[in-house]
Amino acid sequence: MFGQVLWWTEIAAEALLLARAIGTKFYTKYTSFYFYVTCVLLVDLFRFGVFTTLPNSYPLFYWRTQFLAATVGYAVILEMYTQALKKYRGVVRVANGLLLCILAAVMLKTIAGAVSGSGWSPGETMAALERDMRALQAALLLVIIALLAYYKIPTGKNLMGIVVGYSCYVATSVLCLGFGSLPGFGPRPAWRSVQPIAYLATLLIWCLTLWSYHPNPGPDPGSKIERDYKLLSDQTKRILSKARSYLKMGGEL
Amino acid sequence: MSQLLPYLFLGLLLSAVLAWWVWDAIVHRSTAEVLTPRQHRSTARSVGSQRDLGERIFGTEDWDFVLHETPSEIQRMFQRERTVLALAWLRRTRRQTSQVMRAHVAVARQSEDLQIVVEIKLALNYLLFLGLCNSLIGWVWLLGPVRTRKIVGHTLQWAARQRAAFAQLMARVDPASCRVVGTNFNHGTVRN
Repeated sequence: MFGQVLWWTEIAAEALLLARAIGTKFYTKYTSFYFYVTCVLLVDLFRFGVFTTLPNSYPLFYWRTQFLAATVGYAVILEMYTQALKKYRGVVRVANGLLLCILAAVMLKTIAGAVSGSGWSPGETMAALERDMRALQAALLLVIIALLAYYKIPTGKNLMGIVVGYSCYVATSVLCLGFGSLPGFGPRPAWRSVQPIAYLATLLIWCLTLWSYHPNPGPDPGSKIERDYKLLSDQTKRILSKARSYLKMGGEL
Repeated sequence: MSQLLPYLFLGLLLSAVLAWWVWDAIVHRSTAEVLTPRQHRSTARSVGSQRDLGERIFGTEDWDFVLHETPSEIQRMFQRERTVLALAWLRRTRRQTSQVMRAHVAVARQSEDLQIVVEIKLALNYLLFLGLCNSLIGWVWLLGPVRTRKIVGHTLQWAARQRAAFAQLMARVDPASCRVVGTNFNHGTVRN
């Protein structure tokens, strides 16, 4: 019964989120994010249809669609990446470097597993595959959030909601699926409802923060440090622009 | 159970970093602070005295004098007051390092010439410095400045090397900010 209530509430929240975005016409501002929400809503509706009409096929259908939802989840990360860092080219360079490191680590792990003939195996179980996908998402989110926090990149209410909501869900999923793979944890009904509750919390965060459009504040052209440079002297500015153009040409200061 | 540890670590780390980011965004949103040239000028005047102060607080001269010339009650009083001074000095050093880091981050995030290796090195150095500084504060609080002067000396030598790395980076990113950095890290080493 509790599971059914969660299910319906999730579907209602997803529909509300989409309806609000379409009503206020800002879904085009976060295309990848709303693509994810649409996919998940469709998956939930299909699941409900299968659950009521073909209950025996439901477990298999659930895991296959869960894999699809986890894959589409990368669209949310792409949204965060483009929205948060598009005006900060230097930070994008750092982010790209770190993301490449993660990609290299994943490839090494895959190759090592394939060579040794053991270890990582995508076909082991669907739950294990989802766990690994969520773990990779967690690593990517970790990089993006660490950069946002370290460089104190200003974020609007919408983006903050997307980041906080999805990160909470991914962190909970990684922990849940990790523990769920242990014998004795997975089958417990209470344990199995943790992930849907976390997802419902995420949807509530999204509904609250994406109710109206709040664009990301860009780099402040009149920031304190910028004004102080002006105060320093016009000469310093000329030297600065010369130095930057010199650096762009590949020279050294 | 051991195969669970990476997932547990990753999940908890993500939660911790997220909490830190949200807390930082909420608390520091309205109080974004960067080094200004006005502060720069005031600190420039006090660089020499600050270096002398550090050497004086952790040096042995005063303690030797108090140890040989005064009764034990005065010695205890000296240690108490010197501990308070040392803690204040260390906290100020930590605050100034953080200001330099904030100034660096404020300039670096708008720069197109960021270098990932230097950035990571700086971030790790800064984290290490904060850890060291906090542990020093703990040691001084527990043992007093006289007994911990060797550790403080090593830390300040290390901080001076850190300053060189900052200056190098800031010179690339923004020559004007380089001056700001230069004025805040001229702590000398402490004589052991």
